[in-house]
Amino acid sequence: MKFLSLTLRNFKETCRDPLALGFLIAFPLLFMLLFGAALGGSSSPSYAVGIVDEDNTQVSSQFVNEVLVQIPLLDIAVFESEAEALDDLKQGNIRSALVIPAGFGDEVTKSWQRLDPNIILNITYDESDLTVSSQIISALNSAIRNYAQVQIPVTINTSHINVEIEVSQIDFIAPGIIIFGLLIMVPTSARIMVRDKETGFMSRMLTTPTYPWEFISGYSVSLLVIAVVQIVIFILLGVAFGMNIVGNIWLAFLIFLLTAICSIGIGMVVASLSKSENQAEPLCWLIAMPLAVLSGVWFSREIMPEYIQVLGDIFPYANAVSAARVVIIRGADFSAVSGPVLFLSCWAAGAFILGIALFRRRMRG
Amino acid sequence: MLEFSLDQDKRRCQLSTEELNRETSDSMAIQTFGLSRSFGPVVAVGDLNLDIPRGELFALLGPNGSGKSTTINMLCCLLKPTRGTARIMGFDINRQPNSVKALTGVSPQETTLSEHLSPLENLELIASLSNVSRTRARQWSAGLVEIMGLGDRARDQVRKFSGGMKRRLSIAMALISDPAIVFLDEPTLGLDPQARRALWEYIASFKGDKTILLTTHYMEEADFLADRIGIIDAGKIAALGTSLDLKTQAVDTHTMVINAWNLTIRALDSIRVKFENVKINGGCISITGRQLDFKETVDYIHSTGAVIRSAYFKEPSLEEAYLKITGKELRG
Repeated sequence: MKFLSLTLRNFKETCRDPLALGFLIAFPLLFMLLFGAALGGSSSPSYAVGIVDEDNTQVSSQFVNEVLVQIPLLDIAVFESEAEALDDLKQGNIRSALVIPAGFGDEVTKSWQRLDPNIILNITYDESDLTVSSQIISALNSAIRNYAQVQIPVTINTSHINVEIEVSQIDFIAPGIIIFGLLIMVPTSARIMVRDKETGFMSRMLTTPTYPWEFISGYSVSLLVIAVVQIVIFILLGVAFGMNIVGNIWLAFLIFLLTAICSIGIGMVVASLSKSENQAEPLCWLIAMPLAVLSGVWFSREIMPEYIQVLGDIFPYANAVSAARVVIIRGADFSAVSGPVLFLSCWAAGAFILGIALFRRRMRG
Repeated sequence: MLEFSLDQDKRRCQLSTEELNRETSDSMAIQTFGLSRSFGPVVAVGDLNLDIPRGELFALLGPNGSGKSTTINMLCCLLKPTRGTARIMGFDINRQPNSVKALTGVSPQETTLSEHLSPLENLELIASLSNVSRTRARQWSAGLVEIMGLGDRARDQVRKFSGGMKRRLSIAMALISDPAIVFLDEPTLGLDPQARRALWEYIASFKGDKTILLTTHYMEEADFLADRIGIIDAGKIAALGTSLDLKTQAVDTHTMVINAWNLTIRALDSIRVKFENVKINGGCISITGRQLDFKETVDYIHSTGAVIRSAYFKEPSLEEAYLKITGKELRG
């Protein structure tokens, strides 16, 4: 198995080169630590939320006075009418307005009786800060789920969000940072192959009867091992900074792994196209940086114009970020993310096929 | 793209009758048939027709940029010819690159090693890529590091090695798969005289077992190692033969060097009149001519009253032959 020899060689070459290894692990780690420290710290934020109880039942008032007030993230203010609450929202006095519609109590009671409930909460949120809004929505959703003891998602203004009560900003931002760390694997993957081209070691290896797929897989498998280490470190760090993984951790891992494979594949394409590091480096950043922005790694994509969102959808990372978020924050199961998982797999396969084809073409100048 | 490759194929087919009539011979390790490579308008190698028999050490001698490396790169299937082809042990470089690669070992011009691996790891990697079984790879690697004098550093990372050690390892890597043909592209480039000398001894030690194509721009290297030398310039073979052939073919004049005492001004004047090309440096007289007769020359100088200490014919150097053939100064 030549590709195993190549894998072993590439792995040793990377692990024994402090600079290469540093770039692979330390650079994304630094981001993670910075963001973790900035967002996951002990000072838990608290946001003002206006509540309008239109149901006015014992169930609804218990929900407000015994459940919602307990959530540290929420600073509850009760309003008489929706109009008043919206007014305060416009003024910026509150971050979101929650209207508990009439019939809420009945539906929750149904749920307690193991009947099929249709619980609805209407939330109007501040569009200017979606990260905050999404946290509030998540917290509210989580609260109602616990309160009503439902396993199915609850209708909140047609959004289905489900977050643990101790929600923090890191829950929202961590999947994005992890994906960003994996996006950085594009330049690092390309660098490992291009360095061999530049030193001429590639030429030497090309004088042996070895096939293009063996070279590409030799590089990729060694990078994949590093990617797995990266993902584990990222998840552990995220958890250390207070990220709660509501969904299946292995499903989240799968999404991260597929993202890493996409990055490695794209790296192989860039490396096959480039003759030197000077060519590969700018090309990689030209790909990685816009993709980071387009993919909602740093901030929610909902604030972007639609055409930018569509542009982001074409690439694997936006799908990866949203899939990772629904698994980590909302606890979505495999069926909910099967689309993005398939999309990522296709992207990874496509990138590798293209990489091998380009490598083959460039094999003999 | 398709048009381009069709065009290339067509050109490959347009070999001259002479080229086509040359039969592939079993006794030949390397045969090239109008082998050519251009980079845009620049012809790096043009119409190369070479026959290198099995077991020969053939040196391609030429200045930088003369097409030596391009030739080697085409022969080891790293570069596609724009026209013509070559057969390596009967396998076509265009059509059977993997068969060719399985029979050849290459030491490229740059000392390209996997810098963070040890010599053993480098050797075992190339062995594995060359389809050598793991057990044999281990055995041969261990043997080769000893032969190449790297035994005591066999497990150190090669990035800490000296230029000479790296070159030796590079050559060992070309040999690790026990190939029938070894390409050595400028094996001693940039080495100090001692390291170069040591490397020549190593190369000479496996001469005869394998067919070796070596490129160099060091005259003395070709002179020391090669069975035959091809002088390549501007992508064409300018002269071909043994070192002695080239010297005698190219240099049709002879130089006699006479050391003498008691040379009077009159004696020197008469020597200058008698012979065409005379250089006098102290008591050393160099006379260059087409048909110099040793005895006649010595007798004449003796007759001027000079006392001759020594007299000999100077053997033409390969460099002189080279300059004569290419008609220009060495650029290497």
